Amino acid sequence: MAETPTLDERDRGGAGTPLLEARTLTKHFPLGGGAVVRAVDGVDFAVLKGETLGVVGESGCGKSTTARVVMQLIAQDKGEMLFDGEIVGGLSLSLKEYRRQAQMVFQDSYASLNPRLTIEDSIAFGPTVHGVSKQAAILRARDLLLRVGLDPARFAARYPHELSGGQRQRVNIARALALGPRLVILDEAVSALDKSVEAQVLNLLMDLRQEFGLTYIFISHDLNVVRFISDRVMVMYLGEVVEIGPVDELYDDPRHPYTRALLSAMPSMDPDNRTMEAPLAGDPPNPINPPEGCRFHPRCPQAQTVCAKVKPVLATAGEGARQVACHMEVAGSGHSRAPKLEEAA
Amino acid sequence: MTAPLVAQPLVAIENLTVRFRGAQNVHAVNGVSLTLEPGKVLGILGESGSGKSVTLKTLLRLLPESRTDIGGTVQVDGRDVLALNPQDLSDYRGAVTSMIFQDPMLALDPVYTIGEQIAEAIVRHEKIGRKAAMARALELLELVRIPSPERRLKAYPHEMSGGMRQRAMIALALAARPKLLLADEPTTALDATVQIQILLLLRQLQRDLGMGVIFVTHDIGVAVEISDRLAVMYAGQIVETGTVRELLRDPQHPYTKGLLAANLHGARKGERLEAIPGAPPALNEPPASCSFAPRCKHAQERCRAALPPVVTLGEGRLVRCVLAEDALAPA
Repeated sequence: MAETPTLDERDRGGAGTPLLEARTLTKHFPLGGGAVVRAVDGVDFAVLKGETLGVVGESGCGKSTTARVVMQLIAQDKGEMLFDGEIVGGLSLSLKEYRRQAQMVFQDSYASLNPRLTIEDSIAFGPTVHGVSKQAAILRARDLLLRVGLDPARFAARYPHELSGGQRQRVNIARALALGPRLVILDEAVSALDKSVEAQVLNLLMDLRQEFGLTYIFISHDLNVVRFISDRVMVMYLGEVVEIGPVDELYDDPRHPYTRALLSAMPSMDPDNRTMEAPLAGDPPNPINPPEGCRFHPRCPQAQTVCAKVKPVLATAGEGARQVACHMEVAGSGHSRAPKLEEAA
Repeated sequence: MTAPLVAQPLVAIENLTVRFRGAQNVHAVNGVSLTLEPGKVLGILGESGSGKSVTLKTLLRLLPESRTDIGGTVQVDGRDVLALNPQDLSDYRGAVTSMIFQDPMLALDPVYTIGEQIAEAIVRHEKIGRKAAMARALELLELVRIPSPERRLKAYPHEMSGGMRQRAMIALALAARPKLLLADEPTTALDATVQIQILLLLRQLQRDLGMGVIFVTHDIGVAVEISDRLAVMYAGQIVETGTVRELLRDPQHPYTKGLLAANLHGARKGERLEAIPGAPPALNEPPASCSFAPRCKHAQERCRAALPPVVTLGEGRLVRCVLAEDALAPA
């Protein structure tokens, strides 16, 4: 495994420094006429070394825009990112160097491959851009094909249309690994696959994480899959983070009313205990001109006056590993269900 | 004529085969038999290419007839669907059997308002005037619980949100009071919190209107929420049927077991998933042996030599697998 640099060699900040830290990341899309899509609106989060951070939320919550900003496919309007303690695009970590270390796999396995390149050429393309000789890059591509479970002798010279969806997604994963990244962003990467194939690719992702010492950001609408693969989970609503914390704690005891609603919308998988009531009415609102105060307040069953006026900030709740943006968690916030100030002290 | 002693099933499909002709033939459905009692919900569970949607479309004769060979019989509410003449077929569609789809944007006409589309469907099947039809359309929008229905009657599909369009499409499908509603992944494209609203709505409408429903999905969780009985399809065949409880608690076919594992049913964190290896077969030839054998860890010589038997484990509980036969045989 000489060609795979170990985590330690490249580590700059030490084990305690998050691999990625996003600080007030903001991305707005102006629509003209004064309307603005506030796709990502002041998002703070950290991805620890070696963990899988799951990101969940519904259409328009900003999870994919967040991924694209993290990948620097689009530039943020405000905020900054630190990769292993260094500012992305700053003096000590150029954008090009950052992109070697952070890679992405998309949902549409076909659209993300060049239809006129053989799959070994697609996998080898990135390394040649970064100065690896064509010959060495092809050798590495074949090795990677083997690792993602595709026999290079059979598949290396094929074109994307000659592969099934599951096989193409394996190619995309191999391509993402070609530069030896430390962070891989998986944006609905298994969502388009049939369940039996999805399970194979999930197994592959878990194996590769182990083998290459990877850190994942796993974005998905599938709450079951996120629970299975993630160490921590971040819940987004209308461009903001509403809750983030360790996966089992968050699933077993969701604290933000939106997280509770989202989780109780999951089918029960129990014919004797079917879901009897929908947790929310209507569709998720769109992120153009979102409501003042807490963005969830118009749909929140526990909303009070303060929720419409004051925007709750993401703050530590409970034993410390969880952060929630809700007035009910903050002592003295003015919400009747908030802890009393004396108790909190 | 004497009245039949046993209540007639709403749907009776017998040995249905569907083959698409082309440069390469595709044997999409290979001997499907199923029945549905009036007022019951059957979920058909399967992955891409399993033949679940093709089976559903056959019930409305939506497949391109010039390029499709259909064998077997399809009876709905006493009609021989495959033998209907064009006039009878268009009376049948909508009034006896109706359908909702995954993408309401494709099912609704973009240049007519929701009200006009629903009223048109009512006028086609009932002798009532335009005005009365519009009043019925309003009732239907109320039935599917669209907020401010008067206003939505005059809305075009693009003016509505995804969940609302799905409700409008359901209203349209119910316009002529069908006895059988076919649902082809109607919640697959929806967000989680909207999906559960639509599922609960369908469940309630089905109960209130006493409709039979066949609900096709790839999502076990969705199938469990809505179905009384399940049929699992693989490679154009039903491999297992039973009540939701039976299939979930005691799956018999290795494919059903694999599918449950792949849905993380009972999966434990950090452990590898029991994934089914490989991919479904191409269907260029009709199956001569068990279609699942190449991916099955229990496959034996006889699985590859001949079609597996259909083993009856109980009333409406069928499994197409040699293992089930062995289990039944006296020791």
